[in-house]
Amino acid sequence: MTIQPIHARYPFRETARQAVGEAGVDLAALVAEDAAVVERGVERVVWALEDGTVGDAHDVDRIELLSYPVARVLVSQVDEHILTRRYAEAEAATAYERFTADFADTTELKSANAQQLSLSDLLAEFDLSGVIRSADGSLASGASETSPERRSGGGIGDGSAVVSDGQSREFRVEVGTYLDLASDQRGDEWGLVNRALADGEVVVDGEELLVLLRQAVRHRVEDGLPLNVPAAIESELEAEAADLRERLSELDLTRDIDTVVPELFPPCMKSLLDRVQKGEHLEHHSRFAIASFLTSIGMTTDEIVDIFQVNPGFGEEATRYQVDHIRGATSPTDYSPPSCATMQSYGDCVNKDDICEDVIDESHPLNYYEHRLDQEDEDDLTDWREQRGDDDAEADSEA
Amino acid sequence: MQEQTRAYLRGRFGDHYRRTEFTPPPEANEREWGYVPWTDSPGETMVRHRSLLDMGSLEDFLAREKPKHVYFSAGRYDDPGASSMGAKTWRSSDLVFDLDADHLPSVTLGEDSYAEMLAKCKDALKRLLDFLDDDFGFDDLTVVFSGGRGYHVHVRDETVQQLESDSRREIVDYVRGIGLDPELVETTEMRGGVTARVLETEGGWGRRVHEHLLTFVDDLLAMDDDEAKARLQEMDGIGEGRANTIYGALENNAEALEAGNIELGGVGLRTLLDAFVSEVVEQQNAPIDEPVTTDVNRLIRLPGSLHGGSALQVQRIDRADLDAFDPLVDAVPETFVGHEINVDVTDPGPVELKGDSFNLQAGEVSVPEYLGAFLMARGRAEKAPE
Repeated sequence: MTIQPIHARYPFRETARQAVGEAGVDLAALVAEDAAVVERGVERVVWALEDGTVGDAHDVDRIELLSYPVARVLVSQVDEHILTRRYAEAEAATAYERFTADFADTTELKSANAQQLSLSDLLAEFDLSGVIRSADGSLASGASETSPERRSGGGIGDGSAVVSDGQSREFRVEVGTYLDLASDQRGDEWGLVNRALADGEVVVDGEELLVLLRQAVRHRVEDGLPLNVPAAIESELEAEAADLRERLSELDLTRDIDTVVPELFPPCMKSLLDRVQKGEHLEHHSRFAIASFLTSIGMTTDEIVDIFQVNPGFGEEATRYQVDHIRGATSPTDYSPPSCATMQSYGDCVNKDDICEDVIDESHPLNYYEHRLDQEDEDDLTDWREQRGDDDAEADSEA
Repeated sequence: MQEQTRAYLRGRFGDHYRRTEFTPPPEANEREWGYVPWTDSPGETMVRHRSLLDMGSLEDFLAREKPKHVYFSAGRYDDPGASSMGAKTWRSSDLVFDLDADHLPSVTLGEDSYAEMLAKCKDALKRLLDFLDDDFGFDDLTVVFSGGRGYHVHVRDETVQQLESDSRREIVDYVRGIGLDPELVETTEMRGGVTARVLETEGGWGRRVHEHLLTFVDDLLAMDDDEAKARLQEMDGIGEGRANTIYGALENNAEALEAGNIELGGVGLRTLLDAFVSEVVEQQNAPIDEPVTTDVNRLIRLPGSLHGGSALQVQRIDRADLDAFDPLVDAVPETFVGHEINVDVTDPGPVELKGDSFNLQAGEVSVPEYLGAFLMARGRAEKAPE
């Protein structure tokens, strides 16, 4: 099998993996000798962090395809939960863009175009042919998308794969598969309780099916990560991995959380905030930890002074100075909040729970908070600042 | 419980286990086992993290140890006897449901008799089975009387085995109707270029609400005009004007309604539907105990074993026999039938068991052994000398 454009377009597929295998590529030699592949591999990961996609494809199919295993190695070498997740999401987002375009392409000549993916190909890729079917029966299992004569033709259901006559088509998804593939979707409309479930199948429309397939791609990309990276490759990619780690730590500073829900704070920060509010004297590193954490989640100096100031013996000026310092107002440096490792070494890590240990792998308090926010329905969250605003408003109206 | 009572029950449990043949759950050797021994310490201590390999054959183990309670895991593991969950290495889990009279909103604790509680629990079980059969389409269901105050259902379909805890919570929310959004049981359809609001009739809670609506309409149309409009006005938010609109729409559009079209009844019909959503959830939800279902490592009572708090048998029930099943008759262990024993009743009062009603006085009395064992296990009597 030679490397074809479709392999480069969907590098996570089994046929793409085979194409890499049959090209006889030695990964160690590749990363040592092929700068273009490594560069595109790095780019995939960098774009994942910064844009949420893996960027535009390289013009050369071989480079584009081979950059995928390189990117996976890089992610494995850095081995940070958050990077792995973002990378897998980004590969899935790019794949989603591409297959959505492929399915929507209704040009007459498409049956001659071997470079587009059909819906039935994609379902077969994830072993979903038996558990997802179209309500009108056109995706019946008899349509073997893997048979050779079908492979280039794209099989049944492309073109009008998810939309037909301007109406989204209906599909039936086996309930276990649905629960697995919808587990990352937050909206109420994804909740099983709000779905039409009958005889073990959930009704979804075409657009929803595409979202479920994006999740299937994410699972595929994540599968096996982190890989065991051989020492030879690891030393070859050391500089690239270091750069990614650097970017990752910068990202902690600039991440765009702007929600203040103290109930969802990690246990360490809850404890520190509690102690501040009780008027306890905190050591410098502890004050720094809580203040930089609150800064990172979007609170202003005034708000931080406000949330601290529950007790009368509180040193407002000192706090204001310190918080301004952390935010870079009085010094040229931005300070990001300490990682779990730093919190632990200062003895500020307390009341560790399952999320600390199992979900964020004791990486960073912000990861904890981000995870908790992700888990909540946005509509149910009440921002501390709004609550405070309400209180003020009530007080005003009474006055 | 006094020492002689404990010793008696333990001995008789052992006799029961020697004469009983077990059908263990599938892949019994991949599951974790646990049991509670008869001890005199207050509170019960569970011995767990056992594998069949540690225990030898199940029958031998039960006859030898004569435990008070016996459990096996919903989960299967590489190393079920390992002492921590992490070291066990999880493979898969059955999907398990627990209906317990203690958690049923319809049960009034302290007022309902044991038999009444169990009857209400069976109603909830049937509602649960409706969901599992019709909505989820599961095939491999085992229904079990828990020996205590409720029922368990074990689902062993291949499709549930790999579900994670979060996915299992979605299933819990579904059968309990938690998070049901009245607007989401509706969907829109294109009708001649315009979107029309329709009820989701294909499945889910939408279908239940739709069926409820059709029944309501049938009843309504069977009444005379005034009666029907008065009935409509009993609903919150529906006055005379809306009642007239709704009634007119229902009368003339039976077919459209059958297809789920709810555009025709205007605001009034929507108000009616919102009320129906909560009504249907209240009537049809199955109030299962959430943590049992979401915990992939849960230990569940072994069917065929005895419940140490009732001396009743944890009993598998054939679906065909479910209607006729009476736990207070059918779960009485054969071992305890045909003998009389002396007990000292400490908590007198009425008891229904094995089709009889007994009104027990305090003090020493000779009773059928199944009744004596039941009373002693429940802490209402102590063993008296023969």
